[in-house]
Amino acid sequence: MAERVSVTFTLNGERRTFTVAAGRRLLDLLRDDAGLSGTKEGCGAGECGACTVLLDGRPVTSCLVLAASVEGRSVVTVEGLGGASGALHPFQRALVEKGGVQCGFCTPGVAVTGAAILAQGISEPGERARLLSGNLCRCTGYSKIFEALEAAREGSNG
Amino acid sequence: MADPPARPVKGRRSKVEGGSARAADRGLHATPPGPLGGSHARPDASAKVAGLTRYVGDLALPGMLHAALATSRVASARIRSLDTRAALAVPDVVAVLTAADVPGQNSIGAVFGDQPLLVTDRVRMVGDRLALVAARTPEAAWIAARAVRADLEAIPGVHDPVAALDEGSPTVHDGGNLFRTLRVVKGKIDSRRSKATVIVEAEYHVGGQDHAYLEPQGCLAIPEGRDRLTIVASCQCPFYIQHAVAKVLGLPLAAVRVEQAPTGGGFGGKEDYPSEPAACAALLAWHTGRPVRLLFHRELDLQVTTKRHAMVVRHRWGADAKGKLQFAEVETFMDAGAYAGLSTVVAERANVSCIGPYAVPAVDVKTHVVYTNNLFGGAYRGFGAPQVTWAAEATIDKLARELGLDPLEMRRRNALDGMARTLCTGQKLVGPVLAREVLESATRMADWDAFRASRPQGSDRLRYGMGISLVLYGCNLHWGGQQLDRSSAVVILQPDGSVIVRVGLTDMGQGNLTAAQTIAAQALGVAPAAVQVWQPDTTTVGDSGPTVASRGSQMSGMAILDAVARLRTRLDPVAAELLGCAAEEVELGGGFATVRGQADRRVTVATVAAEMASRRLECIATGWYRTTPREFDSETGQGDPYEFYAMACHVARVAVDPELGLVTVEEVSAAHDVGRTIHRQALEGQIQGGIVQAMGWGVTEALHLRDGVLVNPNFTDYIIPTAADAPNINIAVLESDGPGGPYGAKGIGEPAFIPTAAAIRNAVCDALGLEIDTLPLTPPTVVAALGDRHPLAWVLEKSR
Amino acid sequence: MDLPVQDVLRPRSLREALRVLADHPGARPVAGGTDLVVQLRDGRRQAELLVDLSRVGLDGITETDRGIAIGAGTTMDVIATHRAVRTHFPALATAASQVGAWPIQCRATLGGNLANASPAADTAPALLVAGAAVTVASARGQSQLPLEELFVGPGRTSLRSNELIVSVLLPVSRTGAGRRLVERFVKVGPRREQIISVVCMAGRVVVAADGRLELVRLAFGSVAPTPVRARATERLLERRVLDDRLRQEALGVVQEDVKPIDDVRAPASYRRLAVATLLDRFLAEVARG
Repeated sequence: MAERVSVTFTLNGERRTFTVAAGRRLLDLLRDDAGLSGTKEGCGAGECGACTVLLDGRPVTSCLVLAASVEGRSVVTVEGLGGASGALHPFQRALVEKGGVQCGFCTPGVAVTGAAILAQGISEPGERARLLSGNLCRCTGYSKIFEALEAAREGSNG
Repeated sequence: MADPPARPVKGRRSKVEGGSARAADRGLHATPPGPLGGSHARPDASAKVAGLTRYVGDLALPGMLHAALATSRVASARIRSLDTRAALAVPDVVAVLTAADVPGQNSIGAVFGDQPLLVTDRVRMVGDRLALVAARTPEAAWIAARAVRADLEAIPGVHDPVAALDEGSPTVHDGGNLFRTLRVVKGKIDSRRSKATVIVEAEYHVGGQDHAYLEPQGCLAIPEGRDRLTIVASCQCPFYIQHAVAKVLGLPLAAVRVEQAPTGGGFGGKEDYPSEPAACAALLAWHTGRPVRLLFHRELDLQVTTKRHAMVVRHRWGADAKGKLQFAEVETFMDAGAYAGLSTVVAERANVSCIGPYAVPAVDVKTHVVYTNNLFGGAYRGFGAPQVTWAAEATIDKLARELGLDPLEMRRRNALDGMARTLCTGQKLVGPVLAREVLESATRMADWDAFRASRPQGSDRLRYGMGISLVLYGCNLHWGGQQLDRSSAVVILQPDGSVIVRVGLTDMGQGNLTAAQTIAAQALGVAPAAVQVWQPDTTTVGDSGPTVASRGSQMSGMAILDAVARLRTRLDPVAAELLGCAAEEVELGGGFATVRGQADRRVTVATVAAEMASRRLECIATGWYRTTPREFDSETGQGDPYEFYAMACHVARVAVDPELGLVTVEEVSAAHDVGRTIHRQALEGQIQGGIVQAMGWGVTEALHLRDGVLVNPNFTDYIIPTAADAPNINIAVLESDGPGGPYGAKGIGEPAFIPTAAAIRNAVCDALGLEIDTLPLTPPTVVAALGDRHPLAWVLEKSR
Repeated sequence: MDLPVQDVLRPRSLREALRVLADHPGARPVAGGTDLVVQLRDGRRQAELLVDLSRVGLDGITETDRGIAIGAGTTMDVIATHRAVRTHFPALATAASQVGAWPIQCRATLGGNLANASPAADTAPALLVAGAAVTVASARGQSQLPLEELFVGPGRTSLRSNELIVSVLLPVSRTGAGRRLVERFVKVGPRREQIISVVCMAGRVVVAADGRLELVRLAFGSVAPTPVRARATERLLERRVLDDRLRQEALGVVQEDVKPIDDVRAPASYRRLAVATLLDRFLAEVARG
């Protein structure tokens, strides 16, 4: 039987402690222990990006993060992107308005990475595409996701 | 900073033509004001962006068990014995089941009875199920599945659909490997051959494709007491699952309820295949009396689920000196894999689509469905048409090159139109025939003539090319599937004016909820937000067939319109009473019931709904729709395979780095004959998504099979396009009044996919001045096609 | 699903980490986990005990008089955007920006990329041409070895189980007056981003004022059991003036430096052509000046 370990970190702005199996992935902690099922598992190998969350503000694939290793750090999931009020992040709103959502399974990861791109103030299209390339989408062909990024950037500029 | 493999910089400047003005302004039948053709927010989007949508993997019940599959890792073997004791001994394991535990029929084939749910004596493909496990944790379930011991005696398999027809080839099933041959026979080839001045012969090797939906297969089976059960599944076809589970468990259909979970992509991969995991979970739930959830991990999903069929397509086509096609002979070998699945149905579409939208006086088509020990083929967006289109459009370009004709001109001279309306099946097209219009529109957006007049000169190492692909798409189900071509809807008007809609067709991301909502709102004259379309459930509507063949919007829409018409037999008289007019004068639109021609005499639909409720009138109506019966001779392939057709043309512009074999698709211009737009944004999304998915198939997505084993079952080596690969996409939407579905709409899901890869292939060949007849165009394939023409080919001699 | 490990230890200092590794033979250190977690999940590697290095403090880039020292725990996104790295070792910055996609780059560490010893590790050729040395520590002390000596075979290093990579030192040398430095990293794969190299190459050349190639370092990935220096080609080119004939000769000689195989990503013949093409383009750029 695997040992259990305790891990305390900030989850969507709230300090939380979990006791989990030593081999638990952050993805499973979020989904099964914290009940935040918005983060999806599409491949389990860090290739598809459906499980992307922010770790200390930077996007990471939570399927490759050992839960025990986030001790003391800050994790933001798709449920917390808009802040504590439960509102949607401007990029999430733009995805709705621009039709950047189809099946929705990649969407949480896309929303998280897109929010990180906007937070970094990156507007050059080639660089945006490079940064988004870790979030595979099989439905949209990415066009409307780019439109949403642009709309959210314009929106946040005033 | 670095000197990268030469790849052009991308901007994003997409053009969009057509579709913004109201239908009446475009000379089309007018519709009352409403959401039709607009882009209101999809009803499922806000939950999805917030991570609040509950897919099947997000559902859990108290006491729920986790299922796992013990599957064969070899493709061909005899089963000497099966030992499940070690699996049962794994802690937390509750049940390990084999074929002996199936209470009904151990048979899962979608059309034919050649596939067992659990194998007993023979393994025919990788992924054949040996045993099923249910355990308290997913970890225990998969450990136990690996602990199932099978004593297998390897027997020779066959892995090539052409070689499988050789005498002496190992046979996959008794009765030989040739499962079916379909034909199209029209005109006299011999007399037409003498009129041809150029003849192209070719053999195309067209690879398969994995659907790579982002959500792997998954389902949840919930026993409801001891005599019935509920299945919640990621799927396109809940009615297929209902039938499959009832058969395996020996239950009446009415005892199996299937609810479609929000589904994370399908593309055909969740048409036929989900019946298999659903039957597995159902069997485990039945035996344990507990809810059982089965979730595939990605490697398993890639390794065992159905694929787009790999095909070998042989052509002999001839044209006269003016470029007019005279005859076309096509022989296609479809790799069905180890079980028939939907292969014969896919073959039906491939068989009648392989000539394209061209007038050809003499046609001889053979489409062979061949068993091998490879992974089995199934439904995949385009359903056999993309493969034969890839071949047909390559041959058209080859003929043009032989004749010294511009490929655009070659197509102009042969495309069907208002005069030449007869397909290779002898079917005469009804209504506007827009092949030429989509051809001209797409090439205009692509600046075809300007490109050919002054081909861009990039850095010395890039070559630029442009290619066309023109297709005709038979809408909805083929004649062979007519018995399934009906649909059901339920519309319930609530006392507050809001509306519940249930349909039997599913949304797997393509937007069927949006389309159904738009159509219902348009028909009832209310805002889209007033209409709630709920997930399909087999207990709420009649069997509506599968959500495939781009038929979702059409079939749900027509049934909704029927239901609304019936509801209005009760609604209109109440409205008329409130308005003081005759029932025939009542019009619905903009949230109001009005008197025709007198917009100021109005009352809200909500007021009418409240009045109906207070009078205890029936506020629920059902709707039903059947497609028109058709005649077709399956021996000769002559007749009316489809009810009506949509045309599409894609033009691709590529940059090729020949020395490294790198293909960059810079731009795709897509013109589509859509009948009528239902939801503009969803329509564009289908086109953009179809193009990028087809680009993946055409360029990077190689399925590497060795002895029937997929050796790249992961997203590291099964390479689908990322955001950085997405081309600029120009879209032209051509609307017209002709045969179609609700308000004249035709399907878009598959027409968006079918032309792209062929256009890319033609563009690459245009850039390089050579022919590549193997798909996908991976870097090694492109470099191999260059052969000795590679400027550094000499280094290979040197290193030998 | 949980990874099949029994326990995870979380040392708070390098000292503690090294002691843990010394006390638990067979324990496996994990930093970003972007390779190891995948391998544990699919059974390619096993570990009873993981040692999480998150809090050991091995990250950070320091400039010293000996060169640039990159902590083993430094992530790819930090390396890719670091000013001094971009100035002195642009090949490494480029390589780091192409290791997986962004969410991987925010997690994958330099030490992990090297310890994983993939023949396709993108940072390896860039570090090889930089003349990198690896600092390795165990409870007994620290030692330094040239990077080439770290790689033994696919997935295998010369590290002992009680040893950790703590940093990588990149010696900075003055290019000198009249000399010109050309350094590049190029990667070939079927997709623009997020792709494992089918072939990658790093080159570092110093061209003297008289046009002779004063220093030539060339390294390739995915063409041999380990990332490799192209020694024969380097010897051919060093102290010579680059002209078309020499360039052609190099394309033949480099074939002796590589031993590609056929695999799911490409046949060996493709890799040989790609090696020649990348080298040809690099040398053309060197010649152009």
